[in-house]
This record gives sequence, structure tokens and C-alpha cells, in this order.
Amino acid sequence: MTAYLLAIGIMAAIYVLLTLGLTLQYGLTGLVNFGHVGFFAIGAYASALLSLQGVPLPLTFLAAALAAAIAAWPIGLVALRLREDYFAVVTLGFGETVRLAITSEGWLTNGVQGIPGIPRLFSAMPVGLPEALATFAVIALACTVAALMLRRIAASPFGRVIGAIRDNEDALKALGKDPARFKLQVMMLGSALAGIAGAFYGHYITYLSPDQFIPLVTFYAWMAMIMGGVGRVSGAVVGAALLMAFLEGTRFLRDFIPGVSEVEMASVRLGAVGLALVLFTLFRPQGLMGDYRK
Amino acid sequence: MTTHRRTLLAASAGLLAAPRFARAQAETFRIGALNPVTGAGSPYGAGMQRMIVAAVEAINAAGGANGRRIEVFSEDTQTAPQAAVLAAKKLIEVNRVRAILGTWSSGVSLAVIPLTNDADMILMHTSGAPALSVPPANARHLGYRFQATNDRFGRAFAEIAVKEGFRRPATMAFNNASGIGNTEGFRRAWAAKGFQNGVHVVYEPNQPSYRAELLRVLATRPDVIVMGSFLPDTTIILREWFQMGVPVKWIIPAWAANPQLVQALGPAVTEGIIAVDSVSNEGSPAFAAYDAAYRRTMNQPGLSNVYAAMTWDMATTLGLAIEQAKSFETAAINAAIRQVANPPGEGVSTFAEGKAAIAAGRKVNYDGASSVLDFDEFGDVTPDFGVFFIERGQIVRKYVVKI
Repeated sequence: MTAYLLAIGIMAAIYVLLTLGLTLQYGLTGLVNFGHVGFFAIGAYASALLSLQGVPLPLTFLAAALAAAIAAWPIGLVALRLREDYFAVVTLGFGETVRLAITSEGWLTNGVQGIPGIPRLFSAMPVGLPEALATFAVIALACTVAALMLRRIAASPFGRVIGAIRDNEDALKALGKDPARFKLQVMMLGSALAGIAGAFYGHYITYLSPDQFIPLVTFYAWMAMIMGGVGRVSGAVVGAALLMAFLEGTRFLRDFIPGVSEVEMASVRLGAVGLALVLFTLFRPQGLMGDYRK
Repeated sequence: MTTHRRTLLAASAGLLAAPRFARAQAETFRIGALNPVTGAGSPYGAGMQRMIVAAVEAINAAGGANGRRIEVFSEDTQTAPQAAVLAAKKLIEVNRVRAILGTWSSGVSLAVIPLTNDADMILMHTSGAPALSVPPANARHLGYRFQATNDRFGRAFAEIAVKEGFRRPATMAFNNASGIGNTEGFRRAWAAKGFQNGVHVVYEPNQPSYRAELLRVLATRPDVIVMGSFLPDTTIILREWFQMGVPVKWIIPAWAANPQLVQALGPAVTEGIIAVDSVSNEGSPAFAAYDAAYRRTMNQPGLSNVYAAMTWDMATTLGLAIEQAKSFETAAINAAIRQVANPPGEGVSTFAEGKAAIAAGRKVNYDGASSVLDFDEFGDVTPDFGVFFIERGQIVRKYVVKI
């Protein structure tokens, strides 16, 4: 049971990192990024491919963050001049483009066959509880650092500018600030977080293929953010944990609902997740950790 | 009234739950049924899961394997590696299963097999990716593939194309490991025979129309189109091809060219299509047993779900291996799988038959519902391939090719 809970914890922590990136982009700055999964994929593949070439792991994580941030740069330049809904469409397209590029560039990514045998985070340790615990500890540490960093950003002058971009971009322009530059930085920083999340994901699952990077991953991060409370750093953490609790906790529903067959249960499970989300938006639209003063 | 209804509910819930607790008393051998109940594999997943349960019921009815009942814990992979990994973790850690059966897509199997290897348990799957045969995925030789590799399917397609006298084959592949594996296997085998390959078109899943791809292929005037495809896309492609009215023959894997396809398109469109399948022994007693179970639980003919026949065989093979090994240790069971599945030995087609033969000290060779089921050193089956022609809406087996 402990190992299973740790596995859920690790996946939840990976989603916390992803959601934190989104919190920075949407929650704090108001950028509607529907292509988060693209940066997640870039990070995952960058770290996996480099580690298979023998590059030591801390360096591959750095490379994952850099690759994702660099990928965000042209997106930023092209797209940040667009209004939010158009920006959402562009990023959605970007996420899909990344997946198709991974599918097509078989020389690099092994295409649809995927990359098996990616080294684990602690490949020197035998698989078991200590190894899972160490993995979880490292990811949790990364989440903590990212969360603290985000808090710091939100409280800084930079944070006030991006908050102003979210609340009233025109007013900010009238004050002589250049929103595009700030948006670009936010875009790159948030994507770097997604890239690191991707690197953790790759080294945890140990197998990557393009069909793992579908838009659903982006929307899981959105769900986590909405459930936790948009614009709240604690919201990202709580939301991602809650999402995993929903997705995995419903596996145990069967033990409490008699008369439902194993096959039907799979559908009931997804239904339960959907229902919970609907109820959430109905009764706690600000999210669990949301700001109720507004 | 309210109280009364609530009491009734509690009582019935208790009744339903009771056998679960009662069963937990005696020690069982626990296995996990990890199937694609939702997601892209959903047309097959439910049947696959039910057939594992049905085969296990047959084993338990025959007194269990090596004296223990087998207990099945089911989970859904959602046909997604990430969900499958967590589901596998749950089966391994919480339910304490000792083997996992029935993962379907290659992506899922490749993500799950490191976990089963680390937990020292057998994984039986129906995925086609070649990577599953060799290290790192199958470094511990605990993985068993009940489906022919995509490459073997491709080789069979090439044999058939030669036999049917085709000269200008084009290939169309669904863009995933299985689809491309089929057509690549064909193109390699075709080139090895000294022939020239035609155009190769890879198409993306979930398109409403494949007209552009079809036009590209048909513009090269092929005499046959070899497909690496699935049911939904094949349905659309064949419908659009028929509307174009260009004469061409088709070689299609049987999981796509199946009774549902004929039902969707009608006999006129499907006339003359060549469907290729690893021989499911329709004549065999094992297939009859499987077919009866499938009709009973799914209300459909057993042929409509080739993967369900494979999962039926998985549970039966595992049961026989436990019986043969006289042990519940993974190493012993693993060593016994080839003993009970491969020749030589007395051909058996059900668990009960095999159990009786093993008890009598004879070596058995289980001939499955999905194929004769002989494993090579990689844990792969090399089945013979049945060649079916669709004639007036009927899928008729014409001959068998060996590769």
C-alpha cells in the first residue's frame, strides 16, 4: 500500500510542478496556455534522450528546463501579440505540433515506437520502497522550491506588473510598461517548470511515446488549477493532489458500490471524476484555496 | 418507510459484499486483469477482461490450479501509459497480485513491464511492438506475447501478396507502433523477395475523412493496398474508396477486417477483401469453449474480439503452468509455461483436460483459442496465419500461410 501511495504521490507532485507553471502563466499573468503539454513533452524527451547518451541526470534536468524555455521563446514572440482567446488557440496548436513532430522525427525520438529503458532517478538503488521514497523526496523538494519561487515572484515588483497585465493590460500600457516583455519571461519560466515536470515524468515512467502527450495532460493541469484556486500557489498544490485523489481514489469506489461489475466500474469511475468537477465549479467556483474576498 | 428502505439497502449491500469476504478466507493465487476498458482499446477491453474472469472460473470449477483458487483483480488502463502504470502499481502493491494479464497497446505494455519485472512477476500481453521481445523490456524473460508481432504479420502479408500474384503493392498505415510495424514488416519482406515497394502512406488517427491519403495511394495505380489499420479508420477508408470506384484489392489485418466491418459497409464494398489473422483455431475445442463463454457474457460471436481469445488463453496457460510447476513461485511458473504450451506433448484444449493429463504424469501441449500458442525464446508466439476472403458478406478461410 505504501508503495502505491508513493506512486500516486509522485504523479501528483509531477502535476503540481505542471500546475505551478500554469499558475504562473494564467493565474498570475492571465495567459491562456492550452499547449502546456508541449513543453512537458519537450522536457521529457530532452532529458530522456540526453540521459540515454550518458549525460548525468542533474544536467539533463537543466537541459530539459532550458529546452522547454527556449521552445517557449518563439511562441512568445509570435503569439504574445495576440489577444487571449487567439493565444489559447495558438498554444493548443503548438502542443499538438510538438506531439506530431515527436511522432514524425523517428531518427531522434524513435517515433511511435517510443523510447524504452529510460534510467530511473536513482538507477543505482534497487527498486523498492527506499528508492520510491527518495524519488518522491526529490520531486517534492523541486515542488517546494518552485512554489516558494512563485510566491516570491508574486510578491515582488515583477509580480505586481504581471498581476496588472492580468487585471488590466491597457492601463499598464498607459503607465508606460511593455507587457510583451513580461509575458515572454512568464511564458518561458512557466514552460521551464513544465519541462522539469516532463523530465521527472520520463525518468519515473521510464518509457516515452508520443501518445502520452495528448491535450488531456494540459487539461488535467487546468482542472487541478481550477479546483485548487486560480492564482494561488497553494491552490496548485492542493488542486493537483485533489485531482490525483479523484482519479486514483475512484479505483477503490468498487469496494463500496456493490453490484457493479469490474468492466462497468471503469466507466463509473470516469463519471465520478466528471461529476466531482462539475460540483466543484458549481459550489466552489473560486477553488479550494481561492480568494473569497473577490 | 424510509428506515425500512434503508435497512433493506444495507442488508442487500451486506449480502452482495459477503461472498467477497468469505472468499478472502481461503488462500488464493491472485492475478491482475489490466485491460483497456476505456480509451482507444475500449472496443476490446471489456471482452478481454470478462474472458480472463471466465477462464479463471473454468479453472476454479476444475478445482483450482495446484490446489488454490485463482482470484482476479481487474483494472482499467484507459489505454494510456500513465494511468496504466498507476493501475499496475495498485494491483501489485494493494491487491498483491502475482501476475498481470491482458495489457493491450504497446505503449501500455512497455510502460508496465518495468514494474512487473521489478516485482518479479509475469506479464502476458497482446502488444505488437518488437521492443517487447528484447532487453531492456524483456530482460528477465517474464514477458509473454500472445499476439504475433506486427513484423510477423507484415511477413505473412508479403507471402500472401506473392501467392495471389500481386506486383504493385502500396501500403497504408495508421500512425502508431502497430500500424507502422505491419506495413514496415511487409515492405522489408517484400523487398527481400526482390520486388519493388510502392508508395507508403502513413495517416493520422481520428480523421473524419481519408480521401486525400487514398488519392495519393490510388494515383500510383497499385494492384493491392496492404493495410496496417484498425476498425474505425478502415471503415472510413473503404467507404470512400468504394465511392471513388477505382478497382484495387485489399490485404487487411483481421482485427480491422472483421464481421463488424462487413456489417457497417455491407457485402458489396467488402467483396474480395483479404483478411489475415493469426489462426484462431475456430475448429479447435479450445476455441469452442472460448466462443461459448464469449457468447454467454458478451452476447457476440467470439470471432469479433481476437484479443479476448488471447486473454482466455493467458489465464488458461497460466493456470496450467501453475499446475505443472506444483508451485506458486514466479521462477517455477515461468519455467513451466513453455512446458505446457509448446510441443511435444499431449494436445489439450481446456484447463480441466490439462490438469487431468498432468496429474496422470503426461506432458501436455495447450492448443489455444487464439493460436496453437507455442512460445519462442523471446516469449513470442509464431502462429500460422489464416487467409480469409470476404465473399458475399461472409468471411471465409481459404488457406493458411506459414512464415
